[in-house]
Amino acid sequence: MELIDQNLSLQDKLHILADAAKYDVACTSSGVDRRGRKGSLGNSCADGICHSFSADGRCVSLLKILQSNECVYDCKYCLNRAGNDRVRTTFSPEDICQLVIEFYRRNYIEGLFLSSGVVKNPAYTMELMYHSIYMLRNQYHFNGYIHVKAIPNAPQELIEKLGYIVDRMSINLELPTAEGLQELAPHKTQSSILTPMALVQKGIAEHRLSVGKDALMDRSSANRYLSETIFDTAQPSRIHESSAYHAGITSTSSGTDSLIPAPSFSAPSISRPDPFVPAGQSTQMIIGATGENDYQLLTTTQKLYQQFDLKRVFFSAYVPLNEDAHLPSLDTAPPLLREHRLYQADWLLRFYGFQAQDLLTADRPNFNIFLDPKCDWALRHLEIFPVEVNTADYATLLKVPGIGNKSAYRIINARKGGNLDFDALKKIGVVLKRARYFITCKGKMQYHLRIEEDFITRQLTGEEHHSAWDIEHPQTYQQLSLFDTQFAVH
Amino acid sequence: MATIFTCDDSLEGILTCIYDAWASKLGQQNIRLLIEPVVEYELFCDYRHTDSDSHKANNVIDSIQKKISSYAYQMVYRCAMSASPDKADIIYRFLLLGFHYGRQITDMIQFPAVSAIFEINRAVGNEAHFFREFVRFLNMKGNVLAAHIEPKSDVLIFIAPHFADRMPSENWMIIDDNRKSAVIHPADQEYYLTSLSDDEFLRLSHLEDSDDPFIDLWKEFFETIAIKPRENYRCQRNLFPIRYRRHVTEFIPPG
Ligand code: SF4
Repeated sequence: MELIDQNLSLQDKLHILADAAKYDVACTSSGVDRRGRKGSLGNSCADGICHSFSADGRCVSLLKILQSNECVYDCKYCLNRAGNDRVRTTFSPEDICQLVIEFYRRNYIEGLFLSSGVVKNPAYTMELMYHSIYMLRNQYHFNGYIHVKAIPNAPQELIEKLGYIVDRMSINLELPTAEGLQELAPHKTQSSILTPMALVQKGIAEHRLSVGKDALMDRSSANRYLSETIFDTAQPSRIHESSAYHAGITSTSSGTDSLIPAPSFSAPSISRPDPFVPAGQSTQMIIGATGENDYQLLTTTQKLYQQFDLKRVFFSAYVPLNEDAHLPSLDTAPPLLREHRLYQADWLLRFYGFQAQDLLTADRPNFNIFLDPKCDWALRHLEIFPVEVNTADYATLLKVPGIGNKSAYRIINARKGGNLDFDALKKIGVVLKRARYFITCKGKMQYHLRIEEDFITRQLTGEEHHSAWDIEHPQTYQQLSLFDTQFAVH
Repeated sequence: MATIFTCDDSLEGILTCIYDAWASKLGQQNIRLLIEPVVEYELFCDYRHTDSDSHKANNVIDSIQKKISSYAYQMVYRCAMSASPDKADIIYRFLLLGFHYGRQITDMIQFPAVSAIFEINRAVGNEAHFFREFVRFLNMKGNVLAAHIEPKSDVLIFIAPHFADRMPSENWMIIDDNRKSAVIHPADQEYYLTSLSDDEFLRLSHLEDSDDPFIDLWKEFFETIAIKPRENYRCQRNLFPIRYRRHVTEFIPPG
């Protein structure tokens, strides 16, 4: 059926196994600070470090590869599905160690992102990955960042063991509803994904409690100035009260409550416990392969943060790779603008005190193409505007389009030394061309403007129009500028 | 007539200049500070060169830390490492306000003198950050790693601790080609900053191993990882400005 080539060079293998890994969008090396150690190579910075940007403008931070592109599963959207006729290969643990160490020494990467197709079975695959990472940590003394994918249906003990030697673990939800998953990834079930997720969550919480921290992951420190962020409302389902995270993710339309058995395990008893997945868990959903709307995606995202305490949820605009009756046709462009809106909304959930229900509802289930979610929200809540920047509290300032976390914080500090005017706001970093419709300085608006929905909408959409077009058509600009130079030459 | 105090391009030079400007009691509106070499002389100005004096400079540092804050001193320091010819004047005007308002001055971005120093700080900080990301080491004979950079600001001092922490047991050096200076880190020892003679500079450039197989492996990875239907070179350029690509392995054409 397919060729398993043992004679490929390291470069050939790297090509095949990077090519097959690149549709996973999680790339960050963030979430944990770890100092270097004499005799080891590497450290980790909580903010993450990008080392390059590829031709698609995405950050390259980790050596993102598969252990193997062999796969016995047959997920319809995936290049490596069992049904595809492709050259298959597998990295040896030594291959991986060598690449990571030598790339890291040259400052090409922050570390490793290791995923894999399912070779033989999930247990065999996970064992192989464990072996690679164990060797990298203990024989090659690599102290940099490692993100590993958990394989659905892998044995619990392996996931536990891996948790102590990696920084981040992720398992992709792939699709927000159980039906979608069943249709496109017949070998995976929502519970085969959520069970390990809950297991890792428990491991993280137990470790955190054992070193005297809060059970839940740290969130942006600015959130303490906000009331009712999604993380506050998550508190009833805190970790020791078991019920919440045993229930599956319920998306509004699917209505399937999958019940997952309570996972439990205890950490190996050593005096000072090794951190367990210190940079937290993440997951990814594919956007546009199935018919879910933005509201379903965003409420699922929120639930993932609340129930499973995920550090990040990533969205991946569907890129058609396979011809299949269940999938959009091969010439479908990836829905980049939709992906962009979801990231903007995700940001609002994590840093701005918004809830999914504030941004979308069952009656208005999709994002506005022309306006970013915050502007869109503001226009539907004109009654709270204009806001006086010299007196408004942090939470209120954050609701203003054009004012971000940093500028809100700076406003609060700067106004202690005297009232602020529009010039000062500009220096502080406020985007006035958006904010001007929603704020006053010392009781005055910047221009004599009407606070009227249609008027502001027209102003803001005009401004947003270009960037929306650019996101959806990344190649146009280039073609135009090519045309321009040709024009100039002749 | 305006008096222009000039000084050499160093932290000590700038702080001495500020000390002298302050001590001259000429009134801040009649004074300007400028880094040497002065490129355009103006008529009707009195130019006064100040000689670096570590005693005076330390005096100023002490006052900044005591009367304003160590955060303010950090800002001054970073600003002094920038390539802006106005930096001495900007620091001077920031300090005038700082000595008046005390530690809260660093929050008062509404003052032009404060936002000016913030802007330079941000530029220097950003550039240092870019180099943490984009420095590329070449493997030289004897497993010594060497990187070349051509920064606008003097960033070596800001990026050295980062690499010393992550590669404590490697021999490495980063060379600022513009300033002919380098940070040298022998394995398992402290790093140090040094300036390079033309001869040393030349000798170093001959030690590079262009057959390093990991160069091609990295390029292979870098080319492969981009997703075709998402190609976006403008976005790539915004995030990885062309001027930082000169010594970056994946952007150096083969041969
Ligand atoms: S399990 Fe599914 S998604 Fe993963 S490699 Fe196999 S076919 Fe692809």
